[in-house]
Amino acid sequence: MKTLAMALRNLGRNRTRTAITLFSMAFAGAAMILYMAMAEGFVQTLENNTIGKDLGEVQIHAKGYRSDPDLYKRIENADDVLKVVERKGFYGAKRLYGYGLSAFGNASAGIMIRGVDLENEPKVTTISKSVMEGGWLDSSDPRGVVIGKKLARTLGVRLGDELVVISQASDGSMANEVYKVRGVLKTVGEVVDQGGLLMGEGEFRRFLVVPTGAHEIAMTRKNKEWGLEIATAETSKMFPELEVRNWRQLQPILSELMEMMTYSISIVIIIAYSSVAMIILNAMLMNVFERIREFGIMKALGVSPFQIFSLITAEALLSAFFAGGIALAFGAPASLHFQEKGLDLSVFTPSFNLSGMSLDPLIYFRLSPKAVGMPLAFMFVLVVLATLYPSIKAALIKPVDAIHHQ
Amino acid sequence: MLIKMAWRNLWRRKRRTLISSLTVAIGLWVAISMLGISDYSFVNMVNTSASMGFGHVTVEPTGYMNNPGFNKRIKAGRDVTVRILAEPGVTAAVPKIIGPGMIGTASKTVGGVIMGVDPARERPKDNVFFRAIVEGRVFSQPGANEVVIGRRMAERLNLKIGKKLVYTVTDINGDIVSDMARVCAIFKTGDDSVDGGTILLPINKLRATLHFGPEDATLVSVLLADQREAEATSKNLRVKIGAPGVDVRWWSETQPEIAGAITMDRAFHQLYQSVVWLLVATGILDTMLMSVLERKREMGLMMAVGGSPTSLFLLVLTESLLTALTGLVIAILINSPWYFFMTHHGIDLTSMVPEGYGVSGVVVDPVIKMTLFKESVVRILVTFLSLAIIAGLYPAYKASRVPPVESMKAI
Amino acid sequence: MSKNLFRLLPFLISFLLCLFYVQRDTAFAETPEAKAERILNKIDDMWRGESSRGVISMKVETANYTRSMRMEAWSKGRDFSLVRILFPLKEKGVATLKAGNEVYTYLPQTDRTIRLTSGMMMGSWMGSHFTNDDLVKESRLLDDYEARITFDGERNGKSELDFSLIPKPTAAVVWGRIELTVAEGQIPVKEIYYDEDMNVARTMTFKDVKILGGRRLPAVLRMTPADKPGEFTEIVYETLAFGLGLDETFFSISSLKRK
Repeated sequence: MKTLAMALRNLGRNRTRTAITLFSMAFAGAAMILYMAMAEGFVQTLENNTIGKDLGEVQIHAKGYRSDPDLYKRIENADDVLKVVERKGFYGAKRLYGYGLSAFGNASAGIMIRGVDLENEPKVTTISKSVMEGGWLDSSDPRGVVIGKKLARTLGVRLGDELVVISQASDGSMANEVYKVRGVLKTVGEVVDQGGLLMGEGEFRRFLVVPTGAHEIAMTRKNKEWGLEIATAETSKMFPELEVRNWRQLQPILSELMEMMTYSISIVIIIAYSSVAMIILNAMLMNVFERIREFGIMKALGVSPFQIFSLITAEALLSAFFAGGIALAFGAPASLHFQEKGLDLSVFTPSFNLSGMSLDPLIYFRLSPKAVGMPLAFMFVLVVLATLYPSIKAALIKPVDAIHHQ
Repeated sequence: MLIKMAWRNLWRRKRRTLISSLTVAIGLWVAISMLGISDYSFVNMVNTSASMGFGHVTVEPTGYMNNPGFNKRIKAGRDVTVRILAEPGVTAAVPKIIGPGMIGTASKTVGGVIMGVDPARERPKDNVFFRAIVEGRVFSQPGANEVVIGRRMAERLNLKIGKKLVYTVTDINGDIVSDMARVCAIFKTGDDSVDGGTILLPINKLRATLHFGPEDATLVSVLLADQREAEATSKNLRVKIGAPGVDVRWWSETQPEIAGAITMDRAFHQLYQSVVWLLVATGILDTMLMSVLERKREMGLMMAVGGSPTSLFLLVLTESLLTALTGLVIAILINSPWYFFMTHHGIDLTSMVPEGYGVSGVVVDPVIKMTLFKESVVRILVTFLSLAIIAGLYPAYKASRVPPVESMKAI
Repeated sequence: MSKNLFRLLPFLISFLLCLFYVQRDTAFAETPEAKAERILNKIDDMWRGESSRGVISMKVETANYTRSMRMEAWSKGRDFSLVRILFPLKEKGVATLKAGNEVYTYLPQTDRTIRLTSGMMMGSWMGSHFTNDDLVKESRLLDDYEARITFDGERNGKSELDFSLIPKPTAAVVWGRIELTVAEGQIPVKEIYYDEDMNVARTMTFKDVKILGGRRLPAVLRMTPADKPGEFTEIVYETLAFGLGLDETFFSISSLKRK
């Protein structure tokens, strides 16, 4: 304890120097916390934007559906499956798919018709909030449909317009109906944007004569800490007759893209940490070497090398502790602010805007334990390492040399 | 005089100066690398997407972007292309026909994009499909009944070189017309949607099938030597060859998804750079401040023997600038071989990336390389030097405020 | 569907005449190719100007459903036809019109008339094994194929002719070959469609020969896809009448909507 007290007093003696050291360390620490929070949030935001909008984390299909989609390849006992996965720890929603043609005036386009489980879909994806114009589907308005952004443009339809939808029902008969455009979606994903026409599940079943079953069950985990791979594997075992896949398996390219982005962020983090390391090294080295005479005198007065070593190390650790505290005091609230509000990146973009891109230029930070823990841990470790060389040197120096050092 | 003093001051504290110079050097190295990598990928993506059919700048019928189809066309004869080629920076002006249709064999029919191209005018550099041919060779004659298809489509429709397919399109009059073609070449870009949904026909043949005039085309794809000129060139061309019904657009307008991806990429690099700059500045500030504080006595002495606050201010500022410049020199030493390596060889990530990697249908090259534009380097250097000066301001200010008497008392 | 039968109709009639001539002039030296061409040509020529009306029932059997339909069909030459659904109730009034190069479908449920575009071609017509494409594609047998007679003699106690139709190199047809068998000079028995690898893609059989509209014709046509055993589409001609003197103006969009 005496060491600690002395260390504290030493720090206090040259307040300005201590202040500078602490400030630069704290600043670096806070910057790292912010950056880590951004990195964590970025990956999360990216996932939300891509898979949270429409894909879902895990999807279940009947065997063979994905390679060759067919109105008839359904999960027959979809409701039961849904109940089971909900108990397991997922939010799940049924989806029905059909293909057909839509026409408005002289324009026509091939479409993908989706029957939406109105009750459950909002628990799994944010598509119900992704309506750009008009409103989302409503069970009280079965003839109201929501269409993809590009489809609206191709057909030249606006809110309130009526379009004809033609398809082949499951009994072979020709299904045709007039639907009113209730809403037009923002960018949600290529397929839906280009040709997606969404209607309520009930209406789909009536229109295409599909009384039971579902083509797809989309799910997200209730608890995000439950590993995705494990969740998928366990669910897959429960339904051996169905295909259970998570989004990384469904969209390997997207998955790789995200990996690469995470990878590049990590590289930058490493580089940033090196810069921080430089600063800390700088401070620590100066701390010791500026005072080498002092230590020489102490040794001359009988202080043991070990005590010198511990003193210097204690000073360093205390600095790290205070700096860490300051870093946290500034870094955490700032991160939380961006966690709530998000960082608007549109300041950095040049002349054009991001319409048509499914990523919003708004990054939400995430103050995770990792975002705080890693920078602080790093700082401590680095401080100790940086102090090692100078403190050993100081501990072993001969008092005479020390006094002459400068 | 000042500079000599500043320099000598710096080198009296070798270790400290070295450390801060090193911090600066690493910061610079990182900033330049990131910029170079980002610029390379930007140029690469733009050029690749341009080679997919629309070019850097596109001359197209008005309203084509919102509603593409064979019912819209422009006159793209010699007179038009000659005028486009006269525009500085233009390396190619290639008319094309692009539109949707059905493609079928006895086993199956699928929907896809049908492109009419003139093999005599398409250079592989500018046409990603021709570049990616893995089997066969391109059309033997301009009017031949031949077609180039993607590998995935060949699989889906059970086609091989020499086998026929029938394509059905809606012609200029709104009538449904069909024609046949035999597969003469198969390409593989690596992007499934492109390989499974695009076919290329000789433009004259497609013109005939669609009942187009001999000079009609859907658009003219204009390629530039420097894709950064795209926006300006499109504006100039709009003035020179714009006509009612004809529009000129540049790649960010014709391929908004790519534009969006690029913007996002660049925005991130800007962000990273800001972080790096901040840390560099801190490194300089930190060191300078320390050095000033330790030399209180020295400075006090200087003031006592007649030095002015201004001279002290300038001295410290110069020191900070010199530290930065030392860092710059080190950075150049590190950077030159690195830059050479990255521009010519690059980091090859092909093993990490799976087949079919693309962004919005544009296949991305999994090799990380660097491109440094003069303007960008200048910009970085300017930022850097300004930062060095700004970082030095506070310490310099502190130095100038040291009162001669007090400082004598400090240890 | 009805198209296929009507295409072959005059073809059959002329057979009677042609064979009559051939029988008479055995000394007439003619190559089999020329003979086939002549016969098919005669048919195509006879085909122009012929108008007809019929009531047809269709049964479709697929792995997923079984459907029965009943429709009324008018046609004139190769270029005009109008088909209106009578049964089932859900699709009653749905009508498809082909006039030259344009094809329209009227949907009474939504009171809309849609013009067929290239994107709709691959769809099956009314859930059957015939595609919209089959409906629209004019029978340009002679334009698109080279015909040869590969068999000319007796089989199963009947005189039969086998035609082998090879598509011309630039013909816009997906088939590699069509084999046509005709009995007693005028009655189609079988039509086999081959893909380019010469595998059977689909087969059409003609049965139940009887007098329809004063002519001796097969009343039942069945189309069987080669890759889906057990599936078929069968068309039965309940009534048929010829020479109604229908005008081209009959085949118009307003006719589509009439009840």
